[in-house]
Amino acid sequence: MPSDSKDKRIGVFICHCGKNIAGGVDIEALLQSIRETPGVKFVAENRYSCSEDGQIDIQNAIQDQELDRVIIAACAPSLHLMTFQRCGESAGIEPSFVDLIDIRKWTMHGNPEKVDPDEALERSKKLIKQAVKRMSLKRVIPQVVVKTEPSVLVIGGGVAGLEAALDLADKGYEVNLVERLPTIGGKMALLYKVFPTNDCAPCILAPKTAYANIHPGINLLTYSEVTAVEGYIGNFSVKVTRKPRYINEDSCTGCGLCVEKCPQKVIDSVYSAGIGERKAIYIPYDLAIPKKAVIDDENCLYMKTGACRLCEDECPTDAIDFDQESRTIELKAGAIIVATGFDEYNPTEKTEYGYDRYDNVITQYQLARILDIDGPTKGKLLRPSDGKEPQNIAMIQCVGSRDENTNEYCSSICCMYALKHAQIIREMVLPDTEIYICYIDMRTAGKNFEAYYRRTRELGINFIRGRPGEIIEETDTKNLIMKVEDPDLGRLLNLEVEMVVLSCATLPSEGTEQLSGILGTALDENGFYQEVHPKLRPVETNVRGIYICGAAQGPKDIPDSIVQAKAAASCVDGELRKGEIKLPEFIVKTTGPDKEG
Amino acid sequence: MKPDDIPEDMPEDIPEDMPENISGDDSEETVQVPNLDPAFKYEVMRNEGAGGLKYCFACGACTASCPIHEIDHGFDPRKLARMVQLGMKDEVLSSPLIWYCSACRNCEQHCPQSVEFFNILNVLKNMAAEKGYAPYAWVVQTRHLMRTGMVFRTDEAWETRRKALSLPPLQLDGEKVRELIELSGLDELIVKKRP
Repeated sequence: MPSDSKDKRIGVFICHCGKNIAGGVDIEALLQSIRETPGVKFVAENRYSCSEDGQIDIQNAIQDQELDRVIIAACAPSLHLMTFQRCGESAGIEPSFVDLIDIRKWTMHGNPEKVDPDEALERSKKLIKQAVKRMSLKRVIPQVVVKTEPSVLVIGGGVAGLEAALDLADKGYEVNLVERLPTIGGKMALLYKVFPTNDCAPCILAPKTAYANIHPGINLLTYSEVTAVEGYIGNFSVKVTRKPRYINEDSCTGCGLCVEKCPQKVIDSVYSAGIGERKAIYIPYDLAIPKKAVIDDENCLYMKTGACRLCEDECPTDAIDFDQESRTIELKAGAIIVATGFDEYNPTEKTEYGYDRYDNVITQYQLARILDIDGPTKGKLLRPSDGKEPQNIAMIQCVGSRDENTNEYCSSICCMYALKHAQIIREMVLPDTEIYICYIDMRTAGKNFEAYYRRTRELGINFIRGRPGEIIEETDTKNLIMKVEDPDLGRLLNLEVEMVVLSCATLPSEGTEQLSGILGTALDENGFYQEVHPKLRPVETNVRGIYICGAAQGPKDIPDSIVQAKAAASCVDGELRKGEIKLPEFIVKTTGPDKEG
Repeated sequence: MKPDDIPEDMPEDIPEDMPENISGDDSEETVQVPNLDPAFKYEVMRNEGAGGLKYCFACGACTASCPIHEIDHGFDPRKLARMVQLGMKDEVLSSPLIWYCSACRNCEQHCPQSVEFFNILNVLKNMAAEKGYAPYAWVVQTRHLMRTGMVFRTDEAWETRRKALSLPPLQLDGEKVRELIELSGLDELIVKKRP
């Protein structure tokens, strides 16, 4: 085993990575320079260090040269550090004495950090020399074995969080599912139908929400937020604040009598996207889980003025409790899964589309609520300005997406939901209404998605490969006029329609930044949770034991969210199933319950 | 229709000068979508073999493989398909372009969505002829065919050349051809006037 002796034997391995590194830096010059670096006992190059042959070469060198520390200069640690630590461990080297440093980012074509070969050589030399110095100063990091909690905290009760929770509960873990809203089901519950199969969202989701509600392994904590997290993998301690519903959940039967009596109407910006109203006491929707009433304390007459309490008189089970207060509970968790989903971009700042000025410009999420037969309009599609059925509708894609002024990324789901809404309108709501979809690229890359696009064309929907410059409202008719270039025709189209639907970007859900601060997890440049590696470790975060899935990691559809949820659940199970885990001692000492300052 | 009832070869309403740019209107004008006919595409697609139009996603493989387009860029199958999809009925049917196709069917061979553009053009040509938009050359030929049984007009020089080659004089009777043409309803199309 490696010792702490002064005579450290450091070996450096420089990887060609095919031509990714060798094509962008003078390997000979780099080898020469490292060979002359004080403290380096051995230098070698590999064509592919991570391959089986490459690893055997490293292990042989460790034996032959009696190396006790190795540095591999290749790709990012997030990609292969664990690979090389395993490789070193089999040859008798402590994992903390194996280091992987990334010199490939400066040489690989397509990498935004690529520099010219001279610069790459200088930077690589410098980085390797720093690593050698660091390695020579390193001491053994003592490892300890600690017990792990067989429980998991899932944050977010949408389809991704539910799937992860159910998977883990079925595996035998105790799951606490925390949801900020009064009901689980997330955005999906409000989408009416879901592509590419067009089954109604409740058909797919309701069995999951219902099962989660009765599953003995799942504890639902709705209308609650995570406010503090401490600890480390296997031993997180979590504070959850439960907002007051002012309803005794155990007594409430969800009969809805209180809602009928309540005199206070409020625009419902959450469950009907501002299209419909609810009362100050409300049950979010018919299939809500849990189906319990909740009092909105900002709008309740009694809370505001001290008079009313009609709901209290009406409730047959005396479930109303105006004295409830917010309370904080503490939970243990072996691991945490973050599934906090997304919010729709508010297109007001795209002033050219007049979302806040024109009555008949709405968003796709609003349209989804309108088309829902259980939604605020019971599935009737009428113009907001005059309540008439629109004879023609234009949909504008990529509003706030693929746009350097707002969000540069592709929101990935908008093409498909626009197609879905066009299909629903044509087949089930207003068959004679002409629909124009103005798009930049039609991205239908998922399984069976191309057939879905073809089917939409079959229905006679008009596709225009252009983005309208701006929308002008005709003052008398409230119709919307826009110019859009049709490159297939090579001419400008002057499009006048009775309604416009904006396919808005997918944003990280509100509160993501705050929660990531509590969790200590990194966010990417667009504000979504940052995975360790986009291909190899897509659901792990920089904090071991905290995993991400669904749209919290980046815009994605339901099939992909489910896949990630299952992946995250599998990661959790992989870490917790032994009941104990080996960790560096300093982590246990500095972040655990018995931490030393 | 008796031979004497068939109008003269040259229709009276033929313009004295054919436009030089015979591929017609290269208009850069903005298309006023509200004035279009969104039902036009359904009218076309109802016809045998033309239903594939709905699948067209305007990739342009048709135009890229069209030999006519190579000679005259005005003839552009993708654009024509697009015009039908958008409902530009008057512009499509009055356009001389729809008569340019040489029926090679390259476009159909290369179309990734199996759109049978040749069939669609035939539907458009029929609709155009119904409205009196058949090209004059075609009208003249058909009238001549009905009268003489021959597509081309012959003259003395023609006969002299035949004689020199020891061929018998042309003596065709248009009657049989006329019967066929009348059965197909073509005779009604050659007397239509342009709007």
